[in-house]
Amino acid sequence: MRRQATNLELWSVAIVAFVMIIVLPALNATPPGSFLHVSNFTINLYGKYLCYGLLAISVDLLWGYTGLLSLGQALFFTLGGYMMGMHLMRMIGDLGQYHKPIPDFLVFLGWNSLPAFWKPFGSFSFALLMVLLLPGMLALLFGFLAFRSRIRGVYFSILTQALTYAAMLLFFRNSLLMGGNNGFTDFKFIFGYDLREPATQRGLYIVTALTVLLAYLGCRWLSRTKFGLVQQAIRDSENRVLFSGYAAGNYKLFVFVLAALIGSIGGMLFVPQVGIINPSEMGPDKSLEAVVWVAVGGRGTLIGPILGAFGVNAFKSWATRAYPDLWQILLGALFVFVTLFMPKGLVGVPEQLRGLKKRFDARHNKTKTKLAVSVNASTEELAKTE
Amino acid sequence: MKTPVIKGQSAAGRKNTLFVKKRPAGTICVPGRFLPLLFAVMTFCSFANAATESNDSVVRQLLAKTLLSEDAEQQTNLSQLADTGSKLVREVLTAWTRDGVYILETNDAKIPVLLEDQTDADGKSRAIRIADGQFLKDDKGQELKFASIDLTSAETDMKLRGAIQQVLDSLALSDPSPEVRRSAILKMGNSGKEKNIPVLQARQEKEANADVKKSLNESIALLQLNSSDAGVQISAMRKLASINSIGSLDNLKHLATGSNLNPSVLHETKIAIAAIEQHIWWVNFWGTIFRGLSLGSILLVVALGLAITFGLMGVINMAHGEMIAVGAYTCYVTQNIFGSGFGFTVNLPFSVGARQLGFGMHLPGLNATGWFYESYFLFALPLSFITAALAGMVIERTVIRFLYRRPLESLLATWGISLVMQQCFRMVFGANNVQVNSPSWMLGHFSANDVLFGYNRVFVIAFAIVIVIGTWLLLTKTSLGLLIRAVMQNRNMASCVGVRTDRVNMMTFAFGSGLAGLAGSFLSQIGNVGPSMGQDHIVNAFMTVVVGGVGSIVGTVYSAVSVGTGDQVLQQTTGSPVAGKIIMLVLIILFLQWKPGGLFATRSRNLD
Repeated sequence: MRRQATNLELWSVAIVAFVMIIVLPALNATPPGSFLHVSNFTINLYGKYLCYGLLAISVDLLWGYTGLLSLGQALFFTLGGYMMGMHLMRMIGDLGQYHKPIPDFLVFLGWNSLPAFWKPFGSFSFALLMVLLLPGMLALLFGFLAFRSRIRGVYFSILTQALTYAAMLLFFRNSLLMGGNNGFTDFKFIFGYDLREPATQRGLYIVTALTVLLAYLGCRWLSRTKFGLVQQAIRDSENRVLFSGYAAGNYKLFVFVLAALIGSIGGMLFVPQVGIINPSEMGPDKSLEAVVWVAVGGRGTLIGPILGAFGVNAFKSWATRAYPDLWQILLGALFVFVTLFMPKGLVGVPEQLRGLKKRFDARHNKTKTKLAVSVNASTEELAKTE
Repeated sequence: MKTPVIKGQSAAGRKNTLFVKKRPAGTICVPGRFLPLLFAVMTFCSFANAATESNDSVVRQLLAKTLLSEDAEQQTNLSQLADTGSKLVREVLTAWTRDGVYILETNDAKIPVLLEDQTDADGKSRAIRIADGQFLKDDKGQELKFASIDLTSAETDMKLRGAIQQVLDSLALSDPSPEVRRSAILKMGNSGKEKNIPVLQARQEKEANADVKKSLNESIALLQLNSSDAGVQISAMRKLASINSIGSLDNLKHLATGSNLNPSVLHETKIAIAAIEQHIWWVNFWGTIFRGLSLGSILLVVALGLAITFGLMGVINMAHGEMIAVGAYTCYVTQNIFGSGFGFTVNLPFSVGARQLGFGMHLPGLNATGWFYESYFLFALPLSFITAALAGMVIERTVIRFLYRRPLESLLATWGISLVMQQCFRMVFGANNVQVNSPSWMLGHFSANDVLFGYNRVFVIAFAIVIVIGTWLLLTKTSLGLLIRAVMQNRNMASCVGVRTDRVNMMTFAFGSGLAGLAGSFLSQIGNVGPSMGQDHIVNAFMTVVVGGVGSIVGTVYSAVSVGTGDQVLQQTTGSPVAGKIIMLVLIILFLQWKPGGLFATRSRNLD
């Protein structure tokens, strides 16, 4: 039974991956106007959802598998985005509004040459290193402090929320030299390719989809190792894990940093596709949204978060267009509904239905057996009297 | 010296203007030719009906006389005007310096007039005769109208303007309002003109108001700083230092940098500067403490409700911010009901047949004015508690009661609720901030030893104290409080001994929400009221509760006050509000390293 379910999951993932990674881009490459053409807009939109999917996986790794509800995961996502954004800003060269070799906002702030920490971002490999290093180090430091003093449960959630809030306030400041309110935008090139070309966007989309697949497979592998088992044991009862001699804090720290890295990579892929990054992406509401995707999709599974990120964002896109005044109400109502009636999310729906059916069958069978028993009893009685 | 009077003026004519009231108005005829002059409209409608006072008529005639007299005579008349202390004189003289007084030439007289503010379609307005405050009329008793560009304005020159300004200054010195007197005194003190000293000293003898007296002392000492006599300078400095004159710091510093200064004077200057700077430090210190306390009180009021719904009940209530907004909007609606009424219509994007669905409401207004209108806030306070408590009750009954065993998931559901509520606010009240007017008794401030205390900040501190005491009484002295504590400590056990936990949960959540509503009605007086106002407070509120120790009301009080004061101190020392906030958040994170359970951690043998 279990193996069957696993096979089913793998097969469906393989089919979806094939469609997403190969079929959709191929259809996008067909000439516009053709019957099979998939629009650039759709590809771009799906690319964005897939980046959100990475963020959702990072939330789920913490919440669904380790029992740590982080309300600041969007911070790492945005940090990754900012690091990539810095590289893309350097790639604009002197094509900006002011035609200076430094980003426009720096000219606006009265700088004539590049600040020292901006200089190395001209190289992509340095930017990539920073995408991994900066959020990683932040997660390591924060996680070390938090887990050392055994901050858990709600405390951990609120602290991560405060962290992302503080970072948002910091990035809103112009004096940080990270673009202030407006953040980074008007990107032009990546590796010398024009970002506005459909082919470039298609390439980014394929890279994103591959990364999601990789993250899925990697997390799946991790959750089946001994490490993954300890991780899930921490979720279920941290004290028992501690008493069994495991350093639960170290496990949590590792997962926290890993999740931050996955989120950061998501942000890195997000920026060139969406074309803008600003501090409001760090707002506490963005992290909450990511948690909602996981809850809607189904936490403690790996398909769930991706499904949730896709589903909720697609629903949001539809609702904002169809009911511009009501979409927030629809979205809010959806969250309430999911929490109350679908505790296991979309992924758990078949199981819920099966449970309902079982209960229905049981009740049905009970009446049958009762009848059978009474018939038996009466025949026995008859036999006795005879 | 040029006079404002046109040449060829006869003594008889001048005399006539003094008694123009006795002449029939119809005898004035207006000459057909006017000189177009500087355009200036500076008139006072109040003139038309101000002539009733008897003292007024003497002043008016003196004014008219002054306007028409020349040279030395004009000077004496001006100095006489200075002694009247009349508001009228100030207004006419001010208008005079701005070319707003006109001389109307008639056959036999010259009449000084002012023009009314209101102009008709031709840009003309009625003329008010300065001598009696009446409108000019022609033979038939018809009011005459003029355009300002057609009239000759009473002329002034540098010297005359200087004299008029002096009269205006000394007039201000005897103004009935202490505030006006003080500002006039300080202006003279900062003028650097030693000739003002006797004027101020003369005033010093008559002055009764303590504040004004202090300003007089300060101004005289300031002027004496420029004295050539070192003894006078030193005594002036000692005086300034003893009354902690912040305003004199710049003058003193300037003096200290000056060359060829007497060494003993320089020494004294440095002492005075040090004394005043120390005073400023203390003023800033107490000001920071006061602002910190008031910010702490705001945090406290906002977090207290959360300390109950989140701290005691364990519901991660992300809709707490929206409960605050419910209270603030209740305040807004109450204000409008006391005013001209409140109404709204919401159109839904659905229709049945040709009829579009939607809903709306209209509440008639009381059109109250004066103190009755301003008392709206006193009604708004309990109303905001009740509406927010009702909203909380509904949420608890429909959603939260299913989630007591899944606290982390209550976060998601309440966040969904918060989205729904924000959008409802947007639909009913609009996406922009709404205007909530503070009652006049909450505006303004008083100062003690140069530290400013705003009434609204004083009020928020008092309000926070009242709410904390109320909550404490409810939780410890009532039977409901006993039940609340029992249910929060152990829901199952309380249920076993017959407590109706369902009802207690509902009442507790409603109480916490009601407190949030109270906080909202208060925040409406000091901040913006808008659909997403709750979001600005939610992170801080959670931090306050966590720092205080979840489940401890006392802890919330301590943490709110210390976070508020710390925030203000950091803002003061870093000089930037945002940097202060960021450092505060980092400090809180570090603090929780040291005390993971907050200030007042609940002691328990339970490991989870």
